[in-house]
Amino acid sequence: MSRPSAAWVAVLAIASAAAAQDRPTRSGPPAALDAPRGTPLSGATLDARTEEVGSLLRCPVCQGLSVADSPSTMARNMKAEVREKLAAGYDQEQIIAHFERSYGEFVRLEPRMRGVNLLVWLGPLAVLLGGGAIVAWLLKRSRPPAESDQAAERAGAPFLPSRDALPDDARLAAAVRRVRELAYGWPGGIPPKPPATSP
Amino acid sequence: MMPTPASSASPTRAPRVNRKVLVAGLVVVVPLIAILLLNLGRDPHSIRSPLIGRPAPPFSLAPVGGGSPISLESLRGRPVVVNFWATWCVPCFEEHAALVAAARTFKEAQFLGIVYEDDEARTKAFLAERGGAYPSLMDAEGKTAIAYGVFGVPETFFIDGQGRIVDKFVGPLSRGAIAELLGKAKGGAR
Repeated sequence: MSRPSAAWVAVLAIASAAAAQDRPTRSGPPAALDAPRGTPLSGATLDARTEEVGSLLRCPVCQGLSVADSPSTMARNMKAEVREKLAAGYDQEQIIAHFERSYGEFVRLEPRMRGVNLLVWLGPLAVLLGGGAIVAWLLKRSRPPAESDQAAERAGAPFLPSRDALPDDARLAAAVRRVRELAYGWPGGIPPKPPATSP
Repeated sequence: MMPTPASSASPTRAPRVNRKVLVAGLVVVVPLIAILLLNLGRDPHSIRSPLIGRPAPPFSLAPVGGGSPISLESLRGRPVVVNFWATWCVPCFEEHAALVAAARTFKEAQFLGIVYEDDEARTKAFLAERGGAYPSLMDAEGKTAIAYGVFGVPETFFIDGQGRIVDKFVGPLSRGAIAELLGKAKGGAR
């Protein structure tokens, strides 16, 4: 027998997780409800808990609605059953497992954190982190040139000509002086300060 | 001065699309589109019932029109066909005749209807008009439908003589489908 490679182990892990999803009977809830594990509820607590547990159950006849949010008869019946079970002292997990026995994991509005379901839970986070890393990398990569320009300027190598500099070309330099004179009344650029004291 | 920076700035520059980015994007997007297209025709509700192969949830329900309750337990030893239906359900009309005919043919099996979210008077009128060969039971609070994981009507469960669910059929049954699934339920009884 050959030593299984890491890739094979990963493939088998994914396949077995997928198989576990296909056969809820294997890893699913027990065949019948055990003794109540919680305390019997009544009054306002019972109402509040019925809503809470109902919001964790998917309404089978709706599209992505919880039992607590759906006005359908099916959801109303399921809510009544949740209420009855809470009043009898069953806890949340027992009640969800009870519905899971007939509807499968579909009935859980929040899939359990196991097997391929981990993709649903951790996938968005992984994508967000990956995207953030790419953005950070791109930003980091695009920054150095800008920094080196500033450094060069600080070091005394002018990146842009200063306002009183003239082009080396004599014809261009003459044109610049003419334009300056037209604009400022002074061929050297902006008049020397203070303008009031100049003759 | 004529602005021609694009052509003069970098004539040997690579095309705007970055190959690596394109390939990475396609690697992510193509499988997603493939999964979407492959599953477009699938009903998100058509999930294999976790009850198949397990003991059928027990029930004891009163038949339409009165009478003593019929329990699943009392039918042990015979294959049972449990059909969830309603008078407001059009496909249930279509399969009604097939179910009645099958109930008359396969006398060794017990056929049962369970009325899903419907009114007893309307159901009684429907059965009086169209005839029936087996009892239909009232499931007033929908508990039996929930216990069987019913998503809608019609849904039919085939139970063997030991009270195990052998198969589930979603949608209107034909006579052929009934015969085939009932065969499975009889085979399971042994």
